Amino acid sequence: MSSSEIVILGTGIHPFGRFDRSPEDLGAAAARQALLEAGLTWPDIQAAYLSRMYLPATSGARILSRLGGTDISIVDIEAACASGGAALRQAVLAIRSGEVDTVLVLGVEKMPRGFMDPSMIYADWQVRMGMSMNPAYWSMRARRHMHEFGTTEEQIATVAWKNHRNSVENPNAMYRKAFTMEQILGSKLVCDPIRLLEICAPNDGAAAVVLTTAGRARELGGEPVTIAACAHTIARYSADFRCPADSMSATIANPGPTEVTALKAYEQAGFGPGDIDCFEVQDTDAFCEIEICEQLGLCEVGGGGPLVEGGHTEIGGRCPVNMSGGLISKGEPVGASHLGQVVEIVSQLRGKSGARQVEGARSGLAHVLGAGGNCAVTILKA
Amino acid sequence: MNKADATSNDAIRPVREGLVSGTAGDPADIRLLGSRCVSCGEVSMGTNEVCLNCGSDRISGIELASEGELWTYTIIRHKPPGGYLGPEPFEPFALGLVELADGIRIVAPLDGDVDSFEIGVRLRLKPWILRSPDGQQYRAFRFATFSS
Repeated sequence: MSSSEIVILGTGIHPFGRFDRSPEDLGAAAARQALLEAGLTWPDIQAAYLSRMYLPATSGARILSRLGGTDISIVDIEAACASGGAALRQAVLAIRSGEVDTVLVLGVEKMPRGFMDPSMIYADWQVRMGMSMNPAYWSMRARRHMHEFGTTEEQIATVAWKNHRNSVENPNAMYRKAFTMEQILGSKLVCDPIRLLEICAPNDGAAAVVLTTAGRARELGGEPVTIAACAHTIARYSADFRCPADSMSATIANPGPTEVTALKAYEQAGFGPGDIDCFEVQDTDAFCEIEICEQLGLCEVGGGGPLVEGGHTEIGGRCPVNMSGGLISKGEPVGASHLGQVVEIVSQLRGKSGARQVEGARSGLAHVLGAGGNCAVTILKA
Repeated sequence: MNKADATSNDAIRPVREGLVSGTAGDPADIRLLGSRCVSCGEVSMGTNEVCLNCGSDRISGIELASEGELWTYTIIRHKPPGGYLGPEPFEPFALGLVELADGIRIVAPLDGDVDSFEIGVRLRLKPWILRSPDGQQYRAFRFATFSS
């Protein structure tokens, strides 16, 4: 690895779930763990970024004051479900600028139960008319995909079955329970055709990474993992039907945010989906994992249903997806979700994922996608 | 709420300014407004200052078609979060993406039996008057099948 490459030297995670603990408690725990794993202390950090969506202003400085006084730049970054990727990208750019060489990126969230507060993303008139339920938009895309490509409810349920089963081996997941296909297909409909055991829940959690240059990492020792790419974009015009969209063009269909962001990331990395050994992707609902596998290029458009049905995205399959159990089982603490994926990929590339381990994984990809078509893709290599 | 709003409580206000129109005092009248870009021809929902596709400010206001075809839909089984003004107690309803002949698909609630919809069915625009707890009425819209 060239000494100018940027690496992750330390990772930390506070389990995802619901806790009687403050954002400061959650965030400080993950940050301390990342510093410890990197063999560094808080005064070694030259800049820090907090990824969060629901926490109040200047939460980064508040949370990190738990580690001690400092005068470094600490900035909060928000980009909906892609906040973690946007924060990680800022850290990469800061190191690449040459101004700093050791940076902490922390993701923290603490969210109320149930559906997310609609006033965060919807206009008043959409709320008044009943259009403020995020799963409705996932479900409408699922229904259209079933109509166009013959995707089945069983294929969608298979995503949930696989991810819930993977979560049993992940001590950081909120739900660690395997379900049968009958239980999933028999669970309550939330928005047809998507069911309760096929969607994720907002919750609490934190994850952190310490970045530095490969050159500095060599001096420090440890087990660095290279950031081969980190990209963030928002959806182009008429490219992504997702909350809070009130309309779409029927004459123009631009490439979606996952396709655009992944292409940028593949170009940065210099390799593509066929050379990547494992994937953590946004499975806010079971259907969207199918669609994202297609958009990342793991199969052809319309082939996502057969891909999961054929077992290709299982841990022992051709392209393992959501080894951690995905957001369906971990929950989605929005600011922490992408960094949680990155922590999982680092653990995979170090060969330390135990029963979740993808044999011989040398590269991995983390993907998040949310409101406004905010999308981030990070690619790591051993 | 300010004083001007309080005194206009008996009037029906558009649920979104620049999107919904209708004859004052006639709750049965409903029209949807849009914009057509003079440069690229793209149609967008509501009145806009620039074309969301090409960025041109050469925009003309149009009235959107009042009929369309169901492109996809779901069924909302639980009361949506926030200040939903639909029927109380809550009744499950279909929410659709309706393709109009203008070249645009718009999100809209669907009026009728939730099990009666399928992709491709022809729909017509219907008025929907919503009332907020403070008595304010809003002119909103739904789509329904021709047989309902």
